[in-house]
Amino acid sequence: MHVQELILRLQRYWADRGCLVGQPYDIEKGAGTMNPLTFFGALGPKPWNVGYVEPSRRPGDGRYGENPFRVYKHLQFQVILKPSPAKVQEMYIESLEAMGIDLTKHDLRFEEDNWESPTLGAWGVGWQVVLDGMEISQFTYFQQVAGIDCRPVSAELTYGIERICMFLTGIDNIFDLTWGEIKTDQGVFPISYGEVRHREEFELSAYSFEHADIELHQRLFNDFEKEGWRMVKDHGHFLAAYDQALKMSHTFNVLDARGAVSTTERPGVIKRVRDLACACAKAYLENETTKADAAQEVK
Amino acid sequence: MDTRTLLLELHCEEIPARFLEPLTQEFSEAFTKWAGEQKLSLATIHIDYSPRKMAWRMAGLPVSQADQTETQVGPPQRMCVDEAGAATQTGLKFAEKWGVDFSAVRFEQPAGKKEACAVVTLTKAGRPTLELLAEALPKLIAGLHVPKAMRWGNSEFAFVRPIRSILGLLGETIIPFEVDGVKAGNTTWGHRLFHLNRPEPVTVARPEDYEAVLLNAGVVVAFQERKARMLTQLEALATEVGGCVVEDEELANTLAQIVEFPRILRGEFPQSFLDLPKEVLVTSLKEHQKSFCIENAKGDLLPYFLTAANRPDDPEGFVQAGNEWVLRARLYDARFFVAEDRRTPLASRLDKLKQLTFHRELGSYFDKSERVTALVTSLATRLSNDAGHVQEAAQAAQVCKCDLVTLMVGEFPELQGVMGGEYLKHEGAPEAVWQAVKEHYQPISAEAPTPTTAMGSLLAVADKLDTVVGCFAIGQIPTGSKDPLALRRAGQGIVRILWERGWNLNIETLLDLSLAVLKAKATKPEMESREALLAFFRDRVAYQLEVAGYPGAARRSALATGWSDLTDLKARCEALSTFAEDARFASLAQSAKRIGNILKDETPVDAFDGAVLQQEEEKALAGTLGHLEATSDYPALLANLAELAQPLEAFFNSVMVKCEDAPLRAARLSLLQRLRNTFLRVADFSQWQ
Repeated sequence: MHVQELILRLQRYWADRGCLVGQPYDIEKGAGTMNPLTFFGALGPKPWNVGYVEPSRRPGDGRYGENPFRVYKHLQFQVILKPSPAKVQEMYIESLEAMGIDLTKHDLRFEEDNWESPTLGAWGVGWQVVLDGMEISQFTYFQQVAGIDCRPVSAELTYGIERICMFLTGIDNIFDLTWGEIKTDQGVFPISYGEVRHREEFELSAYSFEHADIELHQRLFNDFEKEGWRMVKDHGHFLAAYDQALKMSHTFNVLDARGAVSTTERPGVIKRVRDLACACAKAYLENETTKADAAQEVK
Repeated sequence: MDTRTLLLELHCEEIPARFLEPLTQEFSEAFTKWAGEQKLSLATIHIDYSPRKMAWRMAGLPVSQADQTETQVGPPQRMCVDEAGAATQTGLKFAEKWGVDFSAVRFEQPAGKKEACAVVTLTKAGRPTLELLAEALPKLIAGLHVPKAMRWGNSEFAFVRPIRSILGLLGETIIPFEVDGVKAGNTTWGHRLFHLNRPEPVTVARPEDYEAVLLNAGVVVAFQERKARMLTQLEALATEVGGCVVEDEELANTLAQIVEFPRILRGEFPQSFLDLPKEVLVTSLKEHQKSFCIENAKGDLLPYFLTAANRPDDPEGFVQAGNEWVLRARLYDARFFVAEDRRTPLASRLDKLKQLTFHRELGSYFDKSERVTALVTSLATRLSNDAGHVQEAAQAAQVCKCDLVTLMVGEFPELQGVMGGEYLKHEGAPEAVWQAVKEHYQPISAEAPTPTTAMGSLLAVADKLDTVVGCFAIGQIPTGSKDPLALRRAGQGIVRILWERGWNLNIETLLDLSLAVLKAKATKPEMESREALLAFFRDRVAYQLEVAGYPGAARRSALATGWSDLTDLKARCEALSTFAEDARFASLAQSAKRIGNILKDETPVDAFDGAVLQQEEEKALAGTLGHLEATSDYPALLANLAELAQPLEAFFNSVMVKCEDAPLRAARLSLLQRLRNTFLRVADFSQWQ
């Protein structure tokens, strides 16, 4: 099983189950949940099904490409189903079969694992899905996003692409995975995950732990914040403002990896990101209501 | 009586293991209460649960409520019928009120009335149990107190996890009810594996068939049965490789709660990981992989692990291979953390502790380390004359919190202390020092062991003391069920260690030392904190006496005369316990009370002239004083006191203490005062009951 084949199968499977196939959002982020397709999609009453792959950056997890399991950036495949269907567990299990996992031969468990994102003011309850002892997915029923109760409730499924791929192939170094094959006139060449990503891991780990300019990042954090509030407050532009919140979040993660955030400051800094994200969510919902009212009047 | 068994099963998406027991229990209690209110008898309740099921079998429910009769008393007969014997307006109204014809009204004199009154007997037909259940079950289910309730889909209904199917039978009859749109029926779902190629649910025709039907569908629904199966397999698989399981009750319970059909698997990990500290391996295996370790007779780990799969077999070995694969990754990470942590000496992390808040008002962990060091130094000085010993204790205290900022403790907070100790050992620190750091969080629960070394005990006491006294000094005192910082546990730990060690450290002195060290942080007046602390520790000591198993009378009377010197208290309790059954002590207690009453408003002097005493009974008592007061060990003193029961009784029977003769009265009062003081040296016998 190749990395790209896994992604393609998941996209096909969820498209067939009535999901939009979304795209990764082009701002650094720690998890697929932060993509506006999820953050805003999970809010409000409208039905919303979407699945997409999301490269997720966690500066503190960088290991210079030397650790066979941990990386600065990994790929998540994220599915949002709103409202959560009655057969959502069965749908998820079938997706495993679609990836080529023969469940008659494996051990599958759903173990309690409640998810929380203090930066997004979001939490949910659910499980980590464990296959033969390995966590392959996070399965969450969103209860709140941006401090707002989710009505209806979305189910969020997050697959760890590399992990599942390593697991399926029995390869125990992430960089030895095969990303895919390229065919040229000269023949077929398998390309490894390492060939595509190893140098990036090395450089971005070094950047996060050693080189990132702390003062610059502190300044950036403040500027992004100011810019975000300006957009949402003065203009009611929640998408532009949300971009700034995402940038704040990543900047914070870099500062954290550099050891520039003390334990005592941490909750306060996280709150600043959350406050902006919550303001964006509020503005989004207000806009949705206005839109709905306007549509009503036209009728 | 015609009875039936109720079978109720809520089939849900995977319910968190920790909620299964409390929720099934709570429902049983709620149901029992309801049945009582409905006057439905109930023979037994059988609870089952598995990851996706909570089930109850309530046996011996009658098919319907019994008919109930009740008597209603109305106005007197004279008001209900006129002289001609015809019904009056009042009489008719009474009949109408209870919905009966006037001919059904009787006249008789009820108990407590002076004359004959109108009486009707009403019969309320009992309702069918099926009907009652259909009404009550949805409410009882919705009424469960779910600690972390969730919603799903479009519904407003909140529960522990989504309910996907309900099995509800009274005997063979389906109970007509629904919860959040899910109708009760006579079917349920077996193991996921069983249903992979069977899309239909299984039928449970009768409550008696429940376990068998589920077993056939791949689910062992009884928790104890799953656990028993697991334990047998665990032992067998460990024996095969010449070891035994590192026991862990909590882990065994968790595993039995997260599988529907347990199968224990043994996997192997590379020998090289055995270089990791044992605690790291055990914790890593337990927390990450829910696996048991295997150890040999010497207590060394073997390169194997045991875990439970949720299926009966492992046809292609994938499950074992998968678990081995994941464990390797985990251990690889653990090795990385340990190696990273070892690159910098533990003590060099002190600076980082300045940024780690212990408590908003009490400062950082650096501040705490400084205080604990000061406290340990003065305690160690009191216990030992060896300067080297004192210096080592201070060294341990200084660095005991440094592992909080290591990667390994970041990953596994429960390894706090243990890692600090391991790293110090690796750095070549003296054994006393690394052992002390390693064990200073002990005891971690009421049942858990206390530190094995003296220095570890000392550090544990000082660390906990700083936490407890610090919180009291800023007014954070546990009340009722609120004890967020677990101060009671910490306080109990201090008392337990002192008790077991038998150290000559007075708790009151300890509190004063700690209060002095914390002076700069205190926000409450010192006297106020001190008083609250004394009350708090007295309760802890009282509990310790209870745990030690002393009889109630001995505990109460010993505590009442002082508790902060634990070695003395222990000696007194030991001595008192041997007399707990002695009848003479009951009489002694009576006398002690009388002495107390007599002396209530008196202030006699100790010295008195024995010559003024007149009666034999008082002279006899006075004669024992010298010997009593000279007896210093408690068992002997108590034996003597027991002998005093008789003479004291005689004294009170014949001697009038408060007599007119002033010198005689003074001498008698002094005699009683001296006796009382002797009593009080060992216990306050007025509390002996």
